[in-house]
Amino acid sequence: MLLSDRVTGGAIATLGAAAFFYGSKLPPVPGQQVGPSAFPMVVGAGLMLCGVMIVLGIGRRFEEVAEADVASHSAPEMLEPLPAWRNWLALLPPALLLFYALASEKLGFLPTAGIMVLVASLAFGARPKLAVPLALIAPFVINLIFLKLLRVPLPGGLLPFPW
Amino acid sequence: MDTVIQAFGLVFAPDVLIAIFASAVYGLLVGSLPGLSATMATALLVPVTFYLSPIAAVATIITASAMAIFSGDIPGCLLRIPGTPASAAYTDEAYAMTRKGEAETALGICLWFSALGGIAGTLSLMLIAPLLAEMALSFSTYENFWLAMLGLMCSTLVARSSPIKAIAAMLLGLLITCIGIDNPGGVPRFTLGSTDLLGGIEVIPALVGVFALAEVMRSLTERDPPKLENRRLGSILKGQWALTKKYPKQQARGNLIGIIIGVLPGAGADMAAWVSYAMAKRFSKTPEKFGTGHPEGLIEAGASNNASLASGWVPALLFGIPGDTITAIAIGVLYMKGLNPGPTLFTSQASSMYALYIIFIIGNIIMIPLGIIMIRLASKVVGAPRSAVMPVIMIFCAVGAFATAGNNLFAVYCVAIFGLIGFVMEKNGYPVAAMVLGIVMGTMVEQSFVTSLIKSDGSILPFFSRPVSSVLAAMTFGALLWPVFVWATRKLMAQRPATA
Repeated sequence: MLLSDRVTGGAIATLGAAAFFYGSKLPPVPGQQVGPSAFPMVVGAGLMLCGVMIVLGIGRRFEEVAEADVASHSAPEMLEPLPAWRNWLALLPPALLLFYALASEKLGFLPTAGIMVLVASLAFGARPKLAVPLALIAPFVINLIFLKLLRVPLPGGLLPFPW
Repeated sequence: MDTVIQAFGLVFAPDVLIAIFASAVYGLLVGSLPGLSATMATALLVPVTFYLSPIAAVATIITASAMAIFSGDIPGCLLRIPGTPASAAYTDEAYAMTRKGEAETALGICLWFSALGGIAGTLSLMLIAPLLAEMALSFSTYENFWLAMLGLMCSTLVARSSPIKAIAAMLLGLLITCIGIDNPGGVPRFTLGSTDLLGGIEVIPALVGVFALAEVMRSLTERDPPKLENRRLGSILKGQWALTKKYPKQQARGNLIGIIIGVLPGAGADMAAWVSYAMAKRFSKTPEKFGTGHPEGLIEAGASNNASLASGWVPALLFGIPGDTITAIAIGVLYMKGLNPGPTLFTSQASSMYALYIIFIIGNIIMIPLGIIMIRLASKVVGAPRSAVMPVIMIFCAVGAFATAGNNLFAVYCVAIFGLIGFVMEKNGYPVAAMVLGIVMGTMVEQSFVTSLIKSDGSILPFFSRPVSSVLAAMTFGALLWPVFVWATRKLMAQRPATA
């Protein structure tokens, strides 16, 4: 997930340009000089400027100083790089949230959350001895908190909360 | 006097007391887990505060954040892993004391001086806020605009990253608030035809995504923290009084720096700790002892970060400008509860303000007994397996955002997307806090900007010609140009040995 400054800076400049262009097309409020288009245009121009400067590597020096500072303050064994596939594992939590958004109405909160906990816990390297009981108990407890203490009904679906 | 009695009545209601106690325990637990920050603890609480009375809601935020900032010191002392960024500045020092077999003294310092610092910060809040409120009543949209800009610029200054990337992150936050129909013209902007986006991006799902989900994601890419060995700790508070008498100057200076940094919009507890630690070393009679397990820096920095926590509420309550990420969350809660920040809060809701002070004091007092229990239990809690904690936090992210958005699944998508944005930004050196401050303040910045321009018929002259606004403008530009100044002095320093 570590991208070069050229990529992120370019993306920011493009976003800024898009915001500027889109902002300039917004209809003005009749009788007023300044309307809804002013702010997106100012922000967009700022983003463009920043994006270009990032691509050119301006300000990079500050990051190096900060990184060296962090490195000198943490234990050496924590800084060793991990295998690259671990970086892709980071996409799992948002993917599981998308799963929740898509499935919770049909499946219900308990089964959906159970699956999510099981998958995430295994991804963190838990043994099934820990992950399976956790996946069975945690959704119940969370449902209890939200239903009884906060009075928020969570989707029932196939397996509604029993009481 | 009546309002004070009323305030006590508000605080000593059963629901508020339960909320204080429960959030104290929660804050201590979450703060002590390595990798879970005080900001994350607070962000996850917001959905819960949604269902509480206004005072109870504010009480949970205040207590949980204070406790989490203290208990972040525990894994720092015992494992050399700061529990929260605010304790990173002195983790080395505390761990060095532990290695010398003085773990109980180190933890005691963190606890004792945190509580004292918190109380000092509260006193400053009680003193400064009403004074500034008088002044703030005369502010117009021009001053409000510059204040907000100053806050945003400060948040980019303290980011410990490239200032350009920080400004880009902040602008990104401002751009996000442009989404939706809530703007001067009432036209839909950046909605891409989606009805969900018409209402704009809610602050809470964004916060939960950036601070909580992104941390779950990051911990998936990092290795497990080392195991904590079970050690027997002696008396925690023993000797603290002697240290208080031995280092009064350090403590007072720590409190003062903490308060000042807290009041500055945009700079928070972690900045206060870094500055105070450096200050302690600079003015110490024995600077060579720093880093070898010397209590001096620990006292000053520990006193500082908790003091900044309370004074950070000054700009938040007066102007709706967050002092740091935690008060950014608090501002969201204040709006949600109808306690809209502004100078009139101190006259129209005086009893609520007094109640807030009382909660701060109570929180810092109960920190001592609860903190001692927490330290005793630390070997059990700090070692809790990540594989059990993180999945549960992930579910809370989903359900919490869902519940605050009126059971709308769009909020869950928001959490997922902001988690991804936060993770990618953090990995590439874009400070997330700056973006969050942009999101929290965007609507207000735009309103004061556009209203001011309409008032002046499009001229930017009044932004600089009014006395107060010209000072604020100068400070904002100073903050903008500060990195250039730092860069230039570094360059000069580097050249000098070569030419000499």
